[in-house]
Amino acid sequence: MTEPLPLELSHVHKRFKTGFLSLRTATAVTDLSLALRTNEIVGILGPNGAGKTTTLKMVTGLIFPTAGEVRLFGEPVHRRAARARMGFLPENPYFYDYLTAEEFLHMACGLADMPLAGRQERVTAMLKRLGIHHARALPMRKFSKGMLQRAGLAAALIHDPDLVILDEPLSGLDPIGRRDFREIILDLKRAGKTVLFSSHILPDVEDLCDRVAIIVKGRLREEGALTDLLEHGTRNTDIEVRCEPARGELLAREFPTLDCASTLAGFRLGVPVGENLQELLGRLIALNLEIVSVRPHRLSLEDLFVAHAEGAPPEAPPEREARDEGAKSAPDGEPKSAPDGANQEVES
Amino acid sequence: MIRPVLAVVLNTYREVVRNKILYAILFYAVLLVLTGHFFADVSLNQERRILFDVGLGLISLFAVVLTLFAGTSVIYKEIEKKTIFLIVPRAISRGQFLLGKWGGLFLSMAVIITAMFAILLAQVMFLKLRPEVALFKGVLLVYLEVALLIAVALFFSSFSSPVITGMLTIGFFVIGRLLPDLKQILFTKYQADGFRAVAEEVLQVFPHFYLYVPSGHDLNGRSLSLTTDFVTWSYVGWAFLYTVLGCALILIVAAGVFRRRDLA
Repeated sequence: MTEPLPLELSHVHKRFKTGFLSLRTATAVTDLSLALRTNEIVGILGPNGAGKTTTLKMVTGLIFPTAGEVRLFGEPVHRRAARARMGFLPENPYFYDYLTAEEFLHMACGLADMPLAGRQERVTAMLKRLGIHHARALPMRKFSKGMLQRAGLAAALIHDPDLVILDEPLSGLDPIGRRDFREIILDLKRAGKTVLFSSHILPDVEDLCDRVAIIVKGRLREEGALTDLLEHGTRNTDIEVRCEPARGELLAREFPTLDCASTLAGFRLGVPVGENLQELLGRLIALNLEIVSVRPHRLSLEDLFVAHAEGAPPEAPPEREARDEGAKSAPDGEPKSAPDGANQEVES
Repeated sequence: MIRPVLAVVLNTYREVVRNKILYAILFYAVLLVLTGHFFADVSLNQERRILFDVGLGLISLFAVVLTLFAGTSVIYKEIEKKTIFLIVPRAISRGQFLLGKWGGLFLSMAVIITAMFAILLAQVMFLKLRPEVALFKGVLLVYLEVALLIAVALFFSSFSSPVITGMLTIGFFVIGRLLPDLKQILFTKYQADGFRAVAEEVLQVFPHFYLYVPSGHDLNGRSLSLTTDFVTWSYVGWAFLYTVLGCALILIVAAGVFRRRDLA
């Protein structure tokens, strides 16, 4: 029997009642389907108000979907047993400021139904792992933002959960804190855990995630392995050649379709997508030109994110579109892309 | 399954006992309990009764005030400060969370009531009076009263703001305390059978807080005090049973309401 997926959202919708008499509704999430496989790191991206935190709140059982279903390890999220295998760090976590970090982690152990025996060792280990052991006896109202974030992560991981949900875990951290958190997230993957996190810090997402899901206006706009998403976004390739300036005319004549710009050492040729790069390189070598570098320009995650956030997703090559269509029609609940052009709606 | 509840109990207890405002109220409570001594001094041959009645009355009053102070905002604060985000996603149901809150509040109030009662006992000893069993029965009823009041406060705070929770809890408490008098007034004024039947049913909804401050009259029409030992152990037992069942019922309904609530 196959192990159920750590997290599965199926056609999840969330509408909030608003207004004085709750007669109006605001749609926060529309038809969101997403599945996390064991031992992967998935990042949720989206501009402010896109529905990321709402999604994570539904995943953690804080709010309920208006329609659709959220399952943790094959069980509905409202089951305690399902949530027992999950650790959650909310965005800008708030704490009981009258507790010390040590008391707070002991409380987290209790909430996770951990037996008394071994709790102190686990608490001490987590305080040390997160670098706040020296402040274990201080009330948390005296903690800096970074220390609070560390205490929150310690609480989320205290019971060694299989699924870790982190809402903006890297915000408010100094560079050392970010490095430590990134290392911990990678350690979780090495330990076979599954991690879902939202972040605005795109380089971190790019470094850490196996897959990303981009949510805009409550709809899933793009989802997939980072390598796939960015590979297909290759824009052009720069070839730098070393030669005398006088050979510029020759290059322009031989390669009229390429952008040719002079550099200190020679020329840079901009090769658009679709040109046969191998053949081009062969011709350059045949002309006895020294090739200094061949540098493909890939779409960065930031480009992809900005394009989606501004409502103009980058054009996908034909083979990717065909694959996406296949995914949309997949009957087995595999992740799907929602149709474009969705808006966050306010209905009366 | 019990460990998550105990974690909430302990945390709620710490929250209450580390609240500085509570100590200010407690300070005045202790001062007022000590005034029983003064009333006893100026009373004529009634030191014992005055000290017991005033002392127990003040313990009950302050226990109720402190319960309202702590109980009406305890859920709201968790949601408003978003600390509940650290609890609900864990292996604890919302019903267990409410039970833990009830347990923590009751534990806190029990400690405070015990402290105030210890002061009262010290006064009794100081005046060389005998600490009678009636006094212990009286304080047990205060514990029970507070237990039920916490459940009522938690029920209202499971779906409303502290102000509304406070108003509703006070309303239910006052009506619950005056229930026999209210019935008497209503049934004297409106004697139609239909009205009487409906009013009986409606008034049953209100928790019977009057059970915890029993009063009565003897055959000669003299009013009886709780401390004259007319309250039997079986009465306390029945009050205990009523409280346990009442708390369980109220908390089950509160959990039903709270489990559907979005904690956004």
